Amino acid sequence: MAAAADVRDMLDLPAEGQPRPTKKAKVVEKRPEGITRELYALLGERAPPIAINENKYKGRPKFMNKLRVRKWCMTPFANNARSDGLVLNHWQREHESTRPPAPEPNQMELDETKEEGKEAPKPKEQEYAFAKYNIKARVPRRYTDEEYNRHLKSDDWSREETDYLMNLATEYDLRWVIIADRYDYQRHLDSEPDANAIVPAKQYRTMEQMKSRYYYIAATMLAIEHPPSEMSEAEFALHEQMLKYDPDRERDRKELAALQLNRTADEVREEAMLLEELKRITSNEQNFITERRELYSRLEVPISVGNTAMYQSSQGLSQLLQTLLQADKSKKRRSILGPEGAIPSPVGQTPTQATALGRAETPSTTAAAKDTKKGPAVPPTQPAVRTLTPAEEARYGVQHHERLQGGVQFRSDRAQKLTQAKSNVQTQKLASALAELEIPVRLFMPTERVCKDFEKLIQSVNLLLDARKVAEKVESEIRVLEAARAERERKNAPEGSSKDTEHPEVKTEADDGGNSMLGSTAADATESGAPAGGEGQAKGDEGASSQTPVKEDGNHKRSASVLSSVSDKSSKRQRR
Amino acid sequence: MNPSNPPQAAEYGGDEVSAIVLDPGYSTTRAGFAGEDAPKSLIPTYYGKYNADGQEKLVFGDDIFVTPRPAMSIHNPIGKDGIVEDWDMAEKVWEYSFTSRLTGSKPGNPFLNGLNDIPAEELPTEMEVELEEKSLADSPLLMTEPAWNPAKAREKTIEIAMEKWGTPAFYLARNGVLASFASGKASALVIDIGASNISITPVHDGMILKRGVQHSPLGGDYISSQIRALFKKNSPQPITITPHYLISSKTAVEAGQPPQAKYRTYPADKAPDASYRALLEERTLSEFKECVVQVWPGPNKLSATGPTGASNEEMARSTPGRPFEFPDGYNQVFGVDRFRVVESLFDVKAAIPDPDSPVPAPTQAQTIPELIKASLGGVDVDIRPHLLANVVVTGGSSLLYGFTDRLNHELMQLFPGPRVRISAPGNTAERRFGSWIGGSILASLGTFHQMWISKKEYEEHGANIVEKRCK
Repeated sequence: MAAAADVRDMLDLPAEGQPRPTKKAKVVEKRPEGITRELYALLGERAPPIAINENKYKGRPKFMNKLRVRKWCMTPFANNARSDGLVLNHWQREHESTRPPAPEPNQMELDETKEEGKEAPKPKEQEYAFAKYNIKARVPRRYTDEEYNRHLKSDDWSREETDYLMNLATEYDLRWVIIADRYDYQRHLDSEPDANAIVPAKQYRTMEQMKSRYYYIAATMLAIEHPPSEMSEAEFALHEQMLKYDPDRERDRKELAALQLNRTADEVREEAMLLEELKRITSNEQNFITERRELYSRLEVPISVGNTAMYQSSQGLSQLLQTLLQADKSKKRRSILGPEGAIPSPVGQTPTQATALGRAETPSTTAAAKDTKKGPAVPPTQPAVRTLTPAEEARYGVQHHERLQGGVQFRSDRAQKLTQAKSNVQTQKLASALAELEIPVRLFMPTERVCKDFEKLIQSVNLLLDARKVAEKVESEIRVLEAARAERERKNAPEGSSKDTEHPEVKTEADDGGNSMLGSTAADATESGAPAGGEGQAKGDEGASSQTPVKEDGNHKRSASVLSSVSDKSSKRQRR
Repeated sequence: MNPSNPPQAAEYGGDEVSAIVLDPGYSTTRAGFAGEDAPKSLIPTYYGKYNADGQEKLVFGDDIFVTPRPAMSIHNPIGKDGIVEDWDMAEKVWEYSFTSRLTGSKPGNPFLNGLNDIPAEELPTEMEVELEEKSLADSPLLMTEPAWNPAKAREKTIEIAMEKWGTPAFYLARNGVLASFASGKASALVIDIGASNISITPVHDGMILKRGVQHSPLGGDYISSQIRALFKKNSPQPITITPHYLISSKTAVEAGQPPQAKYRTYPADKAPDASYRALLEERTLSEFKECVVQVWPGPNKLSATGPTGASNEEMARSTPGRPFEFPDGYNQVFGVDRFRVVESLFDVKAAIPDPDSPVPAPTQAQTIPELIKASLGGVDVDIRPHLLANVVVTGGSSLLYGFTDRLNHELMQLFPGPRVRISAPGNTAERRFGSWIGGSILASLGTFHQMWISKKEYEEHGANIVEKRCK
């Protein structure tokens, strides 16, 4: 330290005015070799920026001094893979045989013994180590003229062009990408004046066309050499594969591949998002399954929970609580306390059920469960909420509901329920109408749109049925009235006194019918072909035939139109 | 590893036959022994021509930059599109590239070197032909060529190599293929940004796909012309480039102030040709390109708005400028302009117009993204994703700061679906000499030696053999 201060003093440097750069944690540095200890101590803590490392020459290890120096010499060699016998030179150990570079020791040993016998090693005669890599793809034997004429003729491919293709295939070792790239068949022009006519018509061969032609030839040649009955298994498989090549399918595949390649950034992002989603769903699925299994194992079903409808009212719920408490008490008494039993089960059971239900509503865990209701909707947990245009909503199947019921239900069930009218007769009529339209009662493909249309259809069928009924009724009334008139006229002829008594009665009946037709078709619809009765009867009828336990809707419904009543019913079902 | 043991041949498949690799380019010619990692001989392809004592003299190599000889004019045997135009001179330049550093000049005719002077009447005339030494008599030669080299030029090349230089074996390889070999790939999309050309070469299994080859003249020289256009429009005053040889002394000036330098003047009969000045100006410009010019790294074009809403140009303006001092002492800090000069490689609308420039304005189809699109459009759809995953960037002008980043962004924008991976060596030499290094690898492979066109084959089949063998 003092030394450094002295040096500063000598060199007229200011004393340590500014604080030194923060001291390194590692103060103790290893003294580099080549510096004496004293000198190193003088240097202080600041090691010189350049490492003083003497690069010592490391000579040959001692044991090598005893070895004989082996000579290298420029050796000419010929490559067996060449046909022209080109001789090139490379450096090699003088006695090649003692230290073979080639990886086959056995052969080398053989050579060694041979050479020892000969006394004059000739490195030239040794096979060039890289010649063995000279391999060619196996292409079928070239056809003869006769074979070509008998088996291989094609309208599309001339003999010359086929030859050209086969030459290319051999030349480029069946690398089709390159063959298709270099394919440039110049038709040999038979006559000069025709040239101009032919050149523009020169057809462009696609890779599929080339492959198809080549495979056809290869398969045929294979079959000529060995008839399919004599082929080995591998050969037969190859033959089959080559025969089955379908250029059209391949072309379609490539078109699709091009589409896939040219996707826009948005599409790619979306796909990535969906894949991410799928990954999350599948990863959560296992989790969910185990959770559910756990839940099932924990749920000791105290009563049959086939129908949850009864728990929808507060009364039902309190009843459920009662029974659960009851069950729990009995359980406690039995004191079966499993690992989960530590939690008091009335509280433990109902919340788990609730959470299970609640989880079913959150899309993050059970998007699958939700699918029946909403389709693959964008989960609300997604950080980037984007508003969708109606077209996009339609595409992704996003729907908005005013209110949703808990639990899962099938869309097809809903459609199914529409076909169930309140009375059997009406149901039968509906069914026959559907049968006439050749629409199955059970929808094959209950998509959202199909269901909607089905609903509309059922409504209009109902309307039609109603209209028919009213028409029939009116017709029958007309018939009655006409009969009455005929009767009256007949009676009038003998006596005119009874006319006044009957006439008003008939009139009121007709009025009643008209009223019911206008105002209360809903009620009529439910009456299965019975003659128009009083209002009370209609009400009673409806109450009896409807399966809903709620009766207070009856009054209100009477004044409603068919349409609204149907929608009302459907909404009621939904609620349930 | 014991240094006295040779590596096992099976380890790397190498077998060196002291082949010479010659990679002629528009701006520089590279030559060296196969198996080495960089070319030993790097000379400009330009040569100088002047008259001295009534004789026409030629200057090759780096000597052309050194002395401004009277009336020396600079020429280039290779045309703007990378194809040789002047075969006699190309042969001389190429020969200089390997005789100057690699093979050495062969001993001259012993009868003519003055040591064996004998009376002229005793000179046996018939021996002269035999004694003529060929410069490459004992080295196989691997040469490179651009992918669009016409068949005529290829035949001419093998003719020179075989007949003039007497090489025992010859091969002509495409520089795109070699660049992909240099980065260890047999299939790649090679993007080569050279001096006179940029080219896109799809390579599949070590062969180019001819229908996918694209090239355009927006190379380093085009960027120089853009820089000149920028200098002409420079705001305080237009910048003129005065090369070093015209300056005898200079004093430091503040940024943006007019230069204070003493100029050297040459009398009209001693002055070199205008092309000499252009060549030396080009040297200053390449220095400028190395120190100042920067490619807007993306994403998006320089003219577009960035993700934050501010335009990219604003963002570029906010980055600190880069100073540059010209040979005459004039210096200036270059701000957003340094991005503009190369922007037209990607966005044709950003080109700086210069009606006086001999370089025609670029078209949309000549920009790099369009070239890549066209190139991939020409190859089979099945290998396109594979090519995009193996993009090799090579060529000296690709060393522009930020170039690969921008290229990456452009490719991702063009092809958002497939995976795009650019492999660009960080080492400057590997980038500049990509195709030479590939040639060095290829010509030192044991399995390659069956591919050479030997002298015997050449004599049998004629020059046409190069079309059959070098596919």
